[in-house]
Amino acid sequence: MLDNLSSSLKDALKKLAGKTVVDRAAVDELVKDLQRALISADVNVKLVMELSKAVRTRSLDEQLPKGTNVREHVLRIVYQELVRLVWASTEVRLEPQTILMAGLQGSGKTTTTAKLARYFQKKGMKVAVICADTFRPGAYDQLNTLCTKIHVPCFGNPAEKDALKITREGLVALKDHELIIVDTQGRHALEADLIQEIIDLNIITKATHRWLVIDAALGQQASEQAKRFHEAIGIDGVIITKMDGTAKGGGAMSAVAETKSGIAFIGAGETIDDLERFDADGFISRMLGMGDLKALYEKATEAINAEDVDMNAMMKGKFTLRDMYKQLEALNKMGPLKQIMGMLPLGNMELPDGVYDVTSTKMLRYRIIMDSMTPKELDEPTLINSSRMSRIAHGSGAKPDEVRELLKYFKTMQRTLKGLRGAGAGGGKFNMQRLMKRFSGQQ
Amino acid sequence: MFGGLKERLQAARNRLSSSIGAVVATPVAEPVVPHLPPAAGTTEPEKTAAPGFVEKVKVLVLERELIVSDKNIAEALSELEMTLLESDVALPVTDAIIISVRKNLVGRHRKIGESVDAMVVSALKSALLEVLGKGFDLKEYINTHPRPVKILFTGVNGTGKTTSVAKIGSYLHKQGFSVVIGAGDTYRAGAIEQIAVHAERIGIKVIQHQEGADPSAVLFDTVQYAISHKIDVVLADTAGRFHTKSNLMNQLDKIKRVMKPDLVIYVDEAVAGNDAVIRAAEFDRTVGADAIVLTKADMDSRGGAAISIAHTIGKPLMFLGVGQSYDDIIPFDPAGVVDELLDGA
Ligand SMILES: Nc1nc2c(ncn2[C@@H]2O[C@H](COP(=O)(O)OP(=O)(O)OP(=O)(O)O)[C@@H](O)[C@H]2O)c(=O)[nH]1
Ligand SMILES: Nc1nc2c(ncn2[C@@H]2O[C@H](COP(=O)(O)OP(=O)(O)OP(=O)(O)O)[C@@H](O)[C@H]2O)c(=O)[nH]1
Ligand SMILES: [Mg+2]
Ligand SMILES: [Mg+2]
Repeated sequence: MLDNLSSSLKDALKKLAGKTVVDRAAVDELVKDLQRALISADVNVKLVMELSKAVRTRSLDEQLPKGTNVREHVLRIVYQELVRLVWASTEVRLEPQTILMAGLQGSGKTTTTAKLARYFQKKGMKVAVICADTFRPGAYDQLNTLCTKIHVPCFGNPAEKDALKITREGLVALKDHELIIVDTQGRHALEADLIQEIIDLNIITKATHRWLVIDAALGQQASEQAKRFHEAIGIDGVIITKMDGTAKGGGAMSAVAETKSGIAFIGAGETIDDLERFDADGFISRMLGMGDLKALYEKATEAINAEDVDMNAMMKGKFTLRDMYKQLEALNKMGPLKQIMGMLPLGNMELPDGVYDVTSTKMLRYRIIMDSMTPKELDEPTLINSSRMSRIAHGSGAKPDEVRELLKYFKTMQRTLKGLRGAGAGGGKFNMQRLMKRFSGQQ
Repeated sequence: MFGGLKERLQAARNRLSSSIGAVVATPVAEPVVPHLPPAAGTTEPEKTAAPGFVEKVKVLVLERELIVSDKNIAEALSELEMTLLESDVALPVTDAIIISVRKNLVGRHRKIGESVDAMVVSALKSALLEVLGKGFDLKEYINTHPRPVKILFTGVNGTGKTTSVAKIGSYLHKQGFSVVIGAGDTYRAGAIEQIAVHAERIGIKVIQHQEGADPSAVLFDTVQYAISHKIDVVLADTAGRFHTKSNLMNQLDKIKRVMKPDLVIYVDEAVAGNDAVIRAAEFDRTVGADAIVLTKADMDSRGGAAISIAHTIGKPLMFLGVGQSYDDIIPFDPAGVVDELLDGA
């Protein structure tokens, strides 16, 4: 169903692609599809209506920037409006602090408490947790088991019924720890006693942060629930859990709007390391089902790191055919080109279907050709004269022209990298988009 | 639950009634055409005597047929659509309900004597009943099946499976059935302790292995225990899992093969949004589901998930969870809910 939705959004965008004049009907159609996509992702219905109104007005009123087509224009507005909603970043500082966890029953507070303990511990902080959930059977065992595995002290007492008392004692017992996370029992907006309890917990812990843990699948209730928690303790960050399922986390977006806070972390799995900092690009792309530049970048970097490409050498200008071979291999590992393209924002490139095949075939051809080169040639490509070229062509079953083409491609790559170095671009992320364009024969 | 939905449906219903009512209020000036005499052999039994002039006028004014058009109700329907969406009825399900209500109303010949409200109510009612189907009477099921009746609980993480097992255990216990619980979640930290504490509190035997043990083995032992002790019902808890994780779904499959449950109960929460339909459909497709338990209905939820899930997998709702105490569970009665949603003018 969601696939249909995002493809209908894509279709609506496609209709705008060739246009240079904003077409009211096409914009309306797109806005309608956008509404459906966001509602399916559980964003608050009223919020969706406001947002889509803004997108419509801006798309029709704002001047088309030079050199952009209508699709790019509208897509940029959609993206900007969405980013605005989740924009507020929740800064996570590595300094002494107390974090109070809050949320509905079963949202993932306890699991996330342990994940956060792990996160800060890895950053070198001295972390401890308090189990202030005196209600749920097994709550202490659960948190204690998780924390024992990572050697983080867990203060609690399953026999005690008073959450405030335990917390007070815990704060004293753990006073030589830099960062304390207080796990609390689940509660919801209509449970007045429990809302009072968390107000009291907030007071006695003097919590630095009060983070609201939201299940990615939470629906239209998110706004009202978040509102009540916010009134009670002033939520200053949201954590979305269970993003490893199929839910899109729109409820968390509503919660962010309601609390005027930001999304601090994303939980995407049951194990203790399944916690990531929030990334607006990835989140929005996933929500709309429309590609994810960030994910591509990370995947690319990861694949390349795995292959031990010597980024330093490359940046110094020592970029050999061997390095390029590794890059091609890395790209190959990332899956079919088509899938990689899907992760790029639709903005700047949309290639006819046939191109993907040609280009991934070409990648494969290049590798086969390089397999016929000697180690010396791979390290010193300048050695390759015309006689070596015909030997390589013969050995790999290619035409000499293909070998020439490969060498030409290599030179452009080398130049690109030099350019990168000249521009002082660090981090070792080579220009994926340009690389893609080159593969697709656009440049 | 359903309180919010009720209020909103009421508004939508009023709106629909008034759109149709407005058509009645501004009748098109039509020439008075005499009734055609019925064709030979089709004489209506009630109308034996030829109607006099006064009768004829009465028929024309009061029983003139009125056709509801798409345009009449477009705005009201889009309001109903918003209502359903804001109540967490998933988008595709909302679409289906709107289509059904529209089909029921548009083109219908309404006699002026018929109340507009009644007409709208019956359209909405039949749309909702169609979606919710029949309930599921667990007591009745147990009474009519060979013992032990083995019930397996499944669902995604944190929806309330373990708590529901305890609540249903307590419910059946009070109804005079003997019950044993199988601690089939051997994965999540603290899961065995959790179910063991519940079971002890409600006075039900629990069969458990170590953390990390094979859940199929635990549940197999539970069934064996029930057989040898002539226990009426086996309630099997399992670890939460996402439908996207094939290894975990395969594990459920194995559990099913080993313990051969009579009923597979899918547990989800009333506050879940659109994902409710996706995961329910996946669970139903892969491990099957005979009935649904919907938890956390006390969270001021508008009950849309009930409608979404029931519509998507077409399985009956068995219980609603309405809190964290053992008594916070109520057998679900669709007709009652729909009546309640739409009662009162
Ligand atoms: N797949 C997945 N499961 C998660 C994630 N976060 C939490 N869970 C699971 O969700 C379930 C509930 O998590 P808990 O941490 O117990 O939730 P809680 O908010 O502490 O629950 P209460 O204390 O009862 O209110 C458990 O099965 C967790 O393993 C996540 O990011 N991904
Ligand atoms: N308010 C409310 N809370 C509920 C209800 N049912 C369960 N809960 C709470 O929701 C939380 C999670 O319930 P569990 O029974 O542990 O959920 P589960 O599906 O077994 O979770 P995992 O085994 O971790 O996947 C607990 O805090 C329960 O007390 C309900 O009907 N209403
Ligand atoms: Mg907890
Ligand atoms: Mg459980």
